This record gives sequence, C-alpha cells and structure tokens, in this order.
Amino acid sequence: MPSSTTRSDIEIDQLSKVFGSGDDAVRALDAVSLTIPENEFFTLLGPSGCGKTTLLRMIAGFEQPSSGAIRLGGSDIADLPPNKRPVNTVFQSYALFPHMTVAQNIGFALKMLGRPKAEIEATVAEMLKLVKMEPMANRKPSQISGGQQQRVALARALAPRPRVLLLDEPLSALDLKLRKEMQVELKRLQGETGITFVFVTHDQEEALTMSDRIAVMSAGKVRQVGTPREIYNHPADRFVADFIGDTNFLTATVEKANGATARVRLPSGHQLDAGLPTGLSPVSGDEVTLVTRPEHARLATEGPLKGTVENAVYFGTDTHIHVRLDTGDLFILRNQNTTSAAALPEKGDPVAIAIPDGAVRIVRS
Amino acid sequence: MSAVEMAPHGADTDKPKAPRGDIAWRWGLVAPALIVLLLAASGPLLIVLVYSFLTPGNFGGVIREFSTDGWFQVFFTRDIFDETVGPATAHLDIFRRSITLALYTTVFAAVLGFPTAWFIATRAPDVRPIWLFLVTIPFWTNLVIRTFAIQEVIRNEGLVNTILRSLGIISAPIQMLYTDFAIMLGMAYVFLPLMVLPLYASMEKLDFKLLEAGYDLYATRLKVLWHIVLPLVKPGFIAGSILVFIPAIGAYVTPRILGGGRNLMLGNLIELQFGQGRNWPLGSALALTLLVIVVAALMVYIRATSREEGRRHG
Amino acid sequence: MGKRNFSVASLPGFGTIAIITFIFLYLPIVTLVVYSFNEAASMSRWEGFSLRWYEAALANRQVQDVSIRSLVIAGWAATLATILATMAALATTRNERRFPGQTMIYALINQPLMVPEIVTGVALLIFFAMIKIATGYQGLGYLIAAHTAFCIPFAYLPIRARLETMDLTLERAAADLYATPLQAFRHVTLPLLVPGILAGFMLGFVTSLDTVVITEFVKSAGQDTLPTYMLGQLRRVVTPEMNAISTLFLLLSLIAVTVFFLLSRKKA
Repeated sequence: MPSSTTRSDIEIDQLSKVFGSGDDAVRALDAVSLTIPENEFFTLLGPSGCGKTTLLRMIAGFEQPSSGAIRLGGSDIADLPPNKRPVNTVFQSYALFPHMTVAQNIGFALKMLGRPKAEIEATVAEMLKLVKMEPMANRKPSQISGGQQQRVALARALAPRPRVLLLDEPLSALDLKLRKEMQVELKRLQGETGITFVFVTHDQEEALTMSDRIAVMSAGKVRQVGTPREIYNHPADRFVADFIGDTNFLTATVEKANGATARVRLPSGHQLDAGLPTGLSPVSGDEVTLVTRPEHARLATEGPLKGTVENAVYFGTDTHIHVRLDTGDLFILRNQNTTSAAALPEKGDPVAIAIPDGAVRIVRS
Repeated sequence: MSAVEMAPHGADTDKPKAPRGDIAWRWGLVAPALIVLLLAASGPLLIVLVYSFLTPGNFGGVIREFSTDGWFQVFFTRDIFDETVGPATAHLDIFRRSITLALYTTVFAAVLGFPTAWFIATRAPDVRPIWLFLVTIPFWTNLVIRTFAIQEVIRNEGLVNTILRSLGIISAPIQMLYTDFAIMLGMAYVFLPLMVLPLYASMEKLDFKLLEAGYDLYATRLKVLWHIVLPLVKPGFIAGSILVFIPAIGAYVTPRILGGGRNLMLGNLIELQFGQGRNWPLGSALALTLLVIVVAALMVYIRATSREEGRRHG
Repeated sequence: MGKRNFSVASLPGFGTIAIITFIFLYLPIVTLVVYSFNEAASMSRWEGFSLRWYEAALANRQVQDVSIRSLVIAGWAATLATILATMAALATTRNERRFPGQTMIYALINQPLMVPEIVTGVALLIFFAMIKIATGYQGLGYLIAAHTAFCIPFAYLPIRARLETMDLTLERAAADLYATPLQAFRHVTLPLLVPGILAGFMLGFVTSLDTVVITEFVKSAGQDTLPTYMLGQLRRVVTPEMNAISTLFLLLSLIAVTVFFLLSRKKA
C-alpha cells in the first residue's frame, strides 16, 4: 500500500495487450519494455491509438496484460486489482465525484483505507494548500472552474501519497493559457512531492517542456526513449523525427561510415557529415534518410541545397520559408525575426541553403 | 493500433477468466428479476397455450382432455341440430371491429399527435420538458378515471350535449356513449401520449437546418413537410403507431365502459369466456389469437425500423 | 413594427391542432374535477359549490378499504420491483459490449410492455388458480407478485437510463483510490444512482395504482383495488361521489408523477 519501505522504479517487461480475438484482434501493445526510475517525470508520447493510454491503464490496473510483467519496486503487480496498487491516476475527464465536496473528494482514498479522521483532515488541508484550493474546500465539483477541477483531481490522486502518479492527458481539456500554467504547476508538484509521474500526452511540446525522459510510442511499440534533448536532436527513426517538431527529410547515399558519423552524398553532389543513431552502421552505397531541423538550416549564397522560394509565412517570432528544392522536395527553413527589417527572399527568388556541421542526422526509415 | 494477422490462440489472449466471472456475477444479479417475470408474467403464457387445447369444465376451469374445440370455436360454429359448420360470425365481427377501431384510433391519434409533437419540438429547449410533461400527466392517471372522464363529457346529460342544448343547436341529445365512436374517442384519448412521445423523440433529433435548406431550394411549407420532415421522422411515426395500435387492439376497460356491453372488442370477448361463458379453452385460444396479432404488428414494426436503420447506416 | 421573421419551424395549422389536443387532453379531467364539487347529484345541473361528495367518499367504508388495499399493493410491488430492477440494471449496464444472453434479458424484462394486459391477466388467472388449489393460500400475495412483475420494466427504465449516463470512470477512480468494489458501490455508484432509483420507484408505484385488467383477473373475492372497485361502480348509476374519489386518486398520481419528473430532470 502507499507507505512502503522499498522505493524503487517501475519495470515494464515484454508487456503485450491484444484486444479481441481472431480476425478482429488488435495488438494495442506489442512487447513493450521500459524502466522508469524513482522520482522521474516520465512521459509516454504518441499519436492517438499508439497504445500509450493502454499502457497507463495497465499500470493502474484497469486493463489486464495479455502477456508480460509490470513490476513495482521489484514485485509483480499484474494480478493486483486497482484498489490494491500504490498507484493513483489523474483521469483525463478528472472523474471527480459530483456528489462530494472538494474536500471529500480529496479525502476519499484515505477514507477508503480506513485512516483516522484526524489524519484525513490534516492530509486534506495539506493537499488543499499544495494545490492552492483552500477557499474551495466545501464547493461541489460543478461549482468550480475546469482549471480548479484539474487541481482537485491532482490533489485527490496525491493525497494517499502513491508511489507513482499516472496522468492521462490531464491538460487536454484546458485552454492554452491555463495549460501553460498547469505545466509549470505539475512540474513544481512533482519536485515537491518526489513522486514518480507517468504522464501521457499526444502533445509533443508539452512532453518536451515537462519531462525528464520521454518514450515515443507508435503502433503499440516504443520507438525511442530519451531525454527531451536526445529525442529532439537525435531522433532514432523517421517516425520520431517526424512526430517531434518540424523536420526536413532528404535522401542521400552513404560514401563512408566512420563510428558516430557517416559521410553522405546529396543528389546535388555535395557531401556532408551526418550523425548516426546508435546501432546503425550503413555501408558505402546505401540509400539513407537524412533529417534536419528547420531552425538549423539557413539561407546562404552558396550551399549544398538549391531551390526556389515558394512561400514565406510570418509567425511573429519567426518566419517559415518554404523552398522547393531542385530535386522537387520541399524544404522548410525557420528564420528568427529581428527588429531590423532584414531583407527576406521573396516568392520566386532562387536561393541556396547552408547546413552547419552536426545539424544533419541519418534516421532509420 | 495495428491489426494482428493471426491472433495467438493461447489462454492468455484477452484473459477469458475475468469476463467469465463478470458474466456469472451479472446473471446472478439479474436472476431474481427474471424469476419473478417468468413466474408472474411470461411463464404462465405457456399454460394458456396448454389450456387452449383442453376441454371446458362445467363451472369454469378445464377437464384434462385434449380437444381442439377451443381453437375451432374461435373461427367456426357448429349447428346444435344438424352439425353443419359455419363461420363464427359473432366472433369474426368482433375481430373486425377490434382491428378497425384500433386502426381508426391510431389514425386519430396521429392526426392530433403529429402537430402536437411538432409544436412541442419547436418550443424553446428549456420549456419542452414541461410541455411533454403536460402530455404525459393524463397518461399517468388511472385508466378507469380517464375513461370515466370521457364518459362524463359525451354522455347524454354530459358536457357536450348540455352545451349544445343550451345553445339551442340541438333539441334532443346526440347519442355518443355506447357507440363505436365513443370507444374510438376514448382509446385515442387514453393512448394519445404513446403517439406523441416517440414522434417528439424523432423530431427533437431533427436538424432544422435541413428545413432551411429546403426553403432555400424553393420548397413550399407543405413540400418541406412532405419531402423533408415526414421521411426523417418516419421511425417515430412507426413507433408511435405501433405503441397506440397494440394497447388499442387489446383494450378491455375502455370498450367495457364506453361500449356499454353491446359493442364488444376482443378483450371483452376473452373476459366473457372466463366469466359468464365459462369456456376457458376458447378464452385461452382467443387470448393467444390476440397475442399473435400483437406479435405480427411488432414484427412489422421491427422490420420497418431495422430497414430504416439499414438505410441510414449505408 | 417590421415584418416577422420567416420561421422555418412553423407549419400551417399545426399550432391550432396542438391547442385542440391539449384541450382534448385536459377538458375531460377538468370537467371531472369541477363536478366533484357540485352540490347536485347529477351532472346536468350546477347547483353550487359543495364538499358533500368528498365527505361521502371519505366516509365510505368500502372506498377506504379498497384505497388502503391499492396503496398496500402498490407499496409492496413498487418496492420489490425497484430492488429487482436496480439489480437487473446494474447487471445490464456499464459494459462495453453485450454479454451472452443480454438481448434475451432485455426481451424478458420488457415483455410485460409488449403483451396485452388482458392476455397476461388470463394467463395469471389460470396459473394462480392452480396454485390456489394446490396451496390453499388466497391472500394478497398473488396481486403483489403480478403487480411486481408488471412494474419491473417501468422501474427498470429510469434506473437503467441513469446508469447509462453515469460516467464509468467515476467507479474506476474510486477503485484507483483504494475503494474495494463494495466501497465503490456504497460511496460512489449508489449515491449517484439514488435519483434514478427513486424515479423508478415512483414510476412503479403509479403503474401499480394504474393496473386494472391484471388486477381484475387475479383478485380473489373481496380483493378489489380502487380501480377495479370504480370499474364495478361505473356499471351503476354514477353520483359525483365517483368524481370526488377520482379527483383524490388523480391528486395522488399527480404527486407521484411530479416527483418522478423532478427526479428524472436532476442531472447525472
């Protein structure tokens, strides 16, 4: 139960989940393995239907794995019902009990656990303070705003001091401004409580700003696990590169691979050094996919890529320049706007694009 | 999510254990209700079937001897003296009257019910439940009282005749009570909410933008009604008609009070066999015949609605 | 004043017919109630306001008997039907796909709504006659059983509707917060279901009070309920005492139905 002496991490071991059977069978999770250390803000990121919510529900105990194990601090919890797991969930819809006050909602778990009244009251007061909801203690959920409901849902899940807090797209119902506030708030709460957070989202920006580490998922599989920086700068495959941030894809031929980089030749004949993901060692003559971020490339008078400006889209902080390359591919550059009205190329202008060393990587396709 | 070409057939796919326990638990919860329903509603219908094939007892009840006389008498009579077989005209008349009156009732209820449902569906959303409630209030008051109320209005010394006479329009009261018209009026009165409710339900779902589109494309009000509204509320129309027709064809209380013992309907004929007639097998056979008519009407309804559904989903 | 907006929703003559319908629905009832206060013994004349028929009705021993019997039967039948219907509703909702036999369960529960009351009445007359001979028991149990079965689908309706609009994640949240299944039911499901259960009870109660035909067939001698008593009285010359009884009965149904209406409007 919540107060356990050994505090360690979550181990997901070869976990699979198949819904239905026969021709209708859907493999929602396919042999997923993950390790989440204690006190980490860990995010499961992926498009809808990628299996992230299924994985979360299995950790919570609402879904039984078809095969594989879930270990919490070394012991398998797969057979425990949700009410026996030291894991609490912040639901996407908050699932606040409408017939109870804010304080009763927050105290619910401790009441179920049969804690003494004084302890419940103290914890509820502490939680109300933690999420800054003291004045609302006696309101019903229908009498508070969406952002406040979100705080109550958090406090309710944190009150029993779970070892792990699961958050199922908890910010998706909030408007942009409130969402930004809550992102900071969640990060603060995680730091203050020292509880492991497992956060599910399909919003890559949210994942990048909040997480210690991210697992990018697609089609029931984990594509890459790493810090936001690793995921963004060193995407392991085409899916991750495409899903996280804006990406330009280029094709090239390998000239020579040497350790962490490879010399590649573009269709224009230019040669570049491109970073390699771990475990990939192409040989000379291989066709590979290159990725480069729009903000890493810049317009130049001379460069490995040439084309014609098709469009320039103003975004306030920066301007996106769409260049139709001579190869026919579209390449997007992001140019930071400055106060000086620097001359930007106009539609139809021929341009060249320069890519600095280290800004190009090879990905698995 | 990716589909699996070949699902593993192991016991661990989809964990059959938990659902099986869940199903047993669900059956356990629902069992007491089912037992009461089987004992005090559905099960005894089988005994009626058995009784319809037995021989009537002298003072009601049955003698346990197989006989098809009950069913025979539903449709035919045998002359006491020369044993010639002829159609049971008295019974067939009652069948005809029951079906005709039930149909008239349905039509009458539709004529009043359709505009009423439309009226309610076009009120502001927050007052609609109140109008709907007004339609249902009479429905939840006792059937005997409602029929009695109609009787008070249409009898010779009743409200209508009194008003007409005091206005000098008529000199002698119009005989309305104890006629087929009285039965039809009474049944329409009593079952009207059953027409309004499903019609309202389908009208409420209606997208009024479609009507705007109709007018925009040069349709007149009648054409909009005929080509847009009617086809879209057809499911509600069918449901309402069936919901009125079924209790009307099996009506007992209304024809008994407003028909005055002369204009019998099927329900009264059945009751007679268990009362004065003391012919339980005939009564059982008549009851089952009524049931067959009702089931046939239900089948028409189910087929009509499933065809509607099929059309809607492609 | 400018011209009125074109109203897409208005159809010719519909408003008029709707008004006629409401008059048609309420005129007989209003007449019935008004004449319950008539001094005269006949409806042809209005001889002034009087409560004499209410006094007569309330002093009528037989009316007292049948009223109490009606309420006793309705109380039992509605209570039993509500308990059974609640259990059945819990078993037939809150699952993503139907379990084997669920369609058959629906059919059985709704069967009393489909079969004409007269047919059920005949069936119960025969069946209960057999039991009466076999056991010798002649009491109110038969009527209560018949009414209970008949009330189940009516009680089931609002309870099931309530359960279906209920957020399933609330129960999941309770389980996540360490509630055992029983605690989750006691602290979350049941409190949220209460309006549905009360609505089901009210609907069942009114249905039982309204049941005439089944009662007429099932009752033993001396087991008249208010509706069957009135049905019998209508064969004779009717005095405004009937109006007074009807008005009182109407009031009772009206209260029950209004409570039901208000409960079912309470948001889930």
